[in-house]
Amino acid sequence: MAFWNEIGNRLAYLFRRSRFDREFEEETRFHIQVRADELQQAGLAGADALRQARREFGSTLRSREEARSAWQMRWLEDLGSDLRYAARALRRNRALTLAAVGSLALGIGANTTIFSVAREALFSEPTCRDARSLVQISVGGNSWIPMSQVRFLEDAHAFDGVAGMNIQLVVNWRDGNRSYRLAGTRVTGNFFELVGIPVAMGRPIERGESDVAVITHGFWTRHLGGDPNVVGRTLALDGKPYTIVGVLPRDHRMLAGFGFTPDLYLTKDPIEVMLYARLPRGMTRQAAYTRLQPICREMDRVYPDVNRKWAKEVRLSAVGGVERLQEGGQEAIPLAAFFVMLVVVTAIVVLIACANVSSLLLARAFTRSREFAIRMSLGGSRGRLVRQLLAESLLLALLGTGAGLLLNLWLTRLLSGVHIPTPLPIELLIQPDRMLLAYSVALTFMVTLATGLVPALKGTRAGIGGALKEGGRETGAAGYTLRNALVVGQLAVSILLLSAGLLFLRNLMYATSFNAGFDTSHTVVSTFQTVWGTYTPREFAGLVDTALERLRALPSVEAASPASAVPLNPFLAFSRPGGQFRPDAGSRTVRVQYNFNAVGPDYFRIMGIPILQGRAFADSDRIGAPQVVILNESLARRLFGNTNPVGHILRFPNNRDARVVGIARNCKYVTLGEESAMALYEPHAQQNYAAFVHFFVRTRGAPETMVRQVDETLAGVDPAAAVETHSMNEIFTGALLPSRVGAAILGSMALFGLLLASIGLYGVLLYATQQRTREIGIRVALGATPGDVLTMVVGQSLRLVTVGMVIGVAVAAAAVRPLSMFLVPEVRPADPMNFVAVACALAVVAALATVAPTARALRVDPAVALRHE
Amino acid sequence: MESNPIPELLPGTLYLLILRTLSGGPLHGYAIVKRIKDASRDGLRIEDGSLYPALNRMLVKGWLTSEWGVSENNRKARFYKLTPEGRKQLDQEAGEFDRLVRAIQLVMRTA
Repeated sequence: MAFWNEIGNRLAYLFRRSRFDREFEEETRFHIQVRADELQQAGLAGADALRQARREFGSTLRSREEARSAWQMRWLEDLGSDLRYAARALRRNRALTLAAVGSLALGIGANTTIFSVAREALFSEPTCRDARSLVQISVGGNSWIPMSQVRFLEDAHAFDGVAGMNIQLVVNWRDGNRSYRLAGTRVTGNFFELVGIPVAMGRPIERGESDVAVITHGFWTRHLGGDPNVVGRTLALDGKPYTIVGVLPRDHRMLAGFGFTPDLYLTKDPIEVMLYARLPRGMTRQAAYTRLQPICREMDRVYPDVNRKWAKEVRLSAVGGVERLQEGGQEAIPLAAFFVMLVVVTAIVVLIACANVSSLLLARAFTRSREFAIRMSLGGSRGRLVRQLLAESLLLALLGTGAGLLLNLWLTRLLSGVHIPTPLPIELLIQPDRMLLAYSVALTFMVTLATGLVPALKGTRAGIGGALKEGGRETGAAGYTLRNALVVGQLAVSILLLSAGLLFLRNLMYATSFNAGFDTSHTVVSTFQTVWGTYTPREFAGLVDTALERLRALPSVEAASPASAVPLNPFLAFSRPGGQFRPDAGSRTVRVQYNFNAVGPDYFRIMGIPILQGRAFADSDRIGAPQVVILNESLARRLFGNTNPVGHILRFPNNRDARVVGIARNCKYVTLGEESAMALYEPHAQQNYAAFVHFFVRTRGAPETMVRQVDETLAGVDPAAAVETHSMNEIFTGALLPSRVGAAILGSMALFGLLLASIGLYGVLLYATQQRTREIGIRVALGATPGDVLTMVVGQSLRLVTVGMVIGVAVAAAAVRPLSMFLVPEVRPADPMNFVAVACALAVVAALATVAPTARALRVDPAVALRHE
Repeated sequence: MESNPIPELLPGTLYLLILRTLSGGPLHGYAIVKRIKDASRDGLRIEDGSLYPALNRMLVKGWLTSEWGVSENNRKARFYKLTPEGRKQLDQEAGEFDRLVRAIQLVMRTA
């Protein structure tokens, strides 16, 4: 505290320096006058008394200097003049400054942007009142809690209330004569009040209300044209009118985090919810846990459940920050790892840029070493010189970070407008905040040291003797070695970046032209959702049949099939049932988990998945007919070993029996990264679906031309149903998104890094050639051929590149290994071909960087060179 | 006089003396010097030239505040006043000083 007070006092002094002088003078005059009065009373004459008093006081000037120095912050004032001096030096070398600042800015811009995105996506605080007293409750190891248990917890009055939300609702919105699928979040009536969510317009949903909705800013602007009179309007949702009571502000961040943003919140009784509790003032989470535990044991008594114990794995977790990330579990960890990787990669680019700047400053420091030696011999302290040189890199770092932050603002603004149409849409709202500022300040500091410390220390070490002796050859040599080392480091790190970039590029290439085990080129997929409760399963099956008939009647449709899941779409994912299965209904049990899809007879033909043994489903496989299943190769081998399972009976965990009628070839189901995953198909007509189905349609021509026709046909089957139709290729975009983003960022960063490294190499070679102009001149005069000169320059380049390459490949071979978690199994990080390709790319760029310095060396004219000094 | 010169201040005691002198109430620079001189029965004399730098250092540290006022003989003078931090500092330094003196005396008597 005292320290900061002192700094504050000193800073205040900076603004009243002239007043200080005036006041000091007045004060000393008073002092001397009083003393003189006293002496006069003791009997001295007036003039003598004054003289005597002055003598006693001594030098007022020295006293004032001493008093003033008590206030001064020497280093700050020095820093000011150092920065001014540095600014002059940088202005003189405009091209060099621009290159240094530009490369730093690009690296820092990329790095901070990824920092901002990661911070928003992973760690942002949700919009709510006092997030610290709000917790998410999980009981029985599950964060989804049935409503009866929610009411039980509510009645227990353990906290200042509990409220729930369910984010998994797709509602049909009928607007005019079209229906749309919306992402709705169902909430309990007290949700808005308990969480404390502000609205921009209207009011929140209130306790006891029904048939009302609060819409998000995005939905309001995208679908309702930003209508200012929207409050009070009704929306036909799932066939029922809902009144809009409020509009959320643009910066609303949902409790679920990760940038998830629904279209609207509505009152509709959920079956189960994610539960949030408001802790009473001052109650710690530990105390809350102790209070919750006996209530959960009581719940176990009231609602006994064989499958789960409520009191087991009771958890209270924060609604923001790292803890929510941990709650995110399976999906969140690779996401976080992905961001970490990107931050590291962009930080490496910043480092390469730093090496270039450092190398330039080093060269400059050595050309000035004579000046430094003179200053030191005249009594200048080395620390002062070091600080002056550091001021230059501080200025470069400040400019680079500043420009990088501008880039960050531009990029994050761009990214903030993106709306990713997942079932629960993702919208990131990235704003600069204090964390970004702190991060940038730390970055500036590090860049300053990384670029400036070595040149400043090495440049001033020469001492007085060495440097004053003719040009300081020795120090030149030392700097030369250092710059070589920097270039080698840059080349090595570029290899690392290039290897990572290449892996993602190959991943993308593989993924775009992938062989997922099925054909996507002529398929249109339509998602069809009716209003819940409109149909019984039997009626719905009839509806599906009608739809299939009408689709097949379309002129360029080859085949159509229903299916319950869409492969390779993380958002319309397969359900993954599992348990103890009994092949041949025998006593042997096999525990399996598999991807499940209920499909029509033509599904395998449409997708181009070969049936290897047995048959596909037939129209006769309906309800009432014997139950049949088709296994994929992996599941068949797991359950039946090497025997042909066709015709065998499979007993399900719930003792249902089904006959295996066919074996389908393996393909990809959930991610491109999976290898020989297990899958089981059942006939769609033997299921009890009542509202939701996908239609797969194989077209004769390009699928894109059929999208509209298929969409309209299905909309005609039930106008209240929400229909969404895309070509299969379009749907795969989601599966390819991570590899696209990875390839784009890593690829561009790798190329940028390579460019910077080649500039570094070029700079060092050129500098070496300049330094050795005289030497080359003498050699040529003594009979060296152009070939000898060539060997000299190219030899140096070759040595640097070789050393860099060897180190780089060794480091990269180890460092890229963990990347396999982001790649399809067919792209192996350890593949030696990667490194060969990368080394070749580097060699080509290095050769280009060597051309100009070599040409310069060859042009050296001995007559001119010998007069060089 | 020559055989018994005014002893030099122990290092660091100047602050302590000023703090103690001001603990009775605000004073201007000259009054501080005079008060110390009188209280020590001429045993201690603060150099005029080192008084003001010391006062300024104490202002920086926040132990004192200063204010312009009118002196006893109707002249404009700068008065220094102890802040709460200054009072804390006085308590602490006075305690330390007491312990130091007692320790030195112990050594002088017994060793």
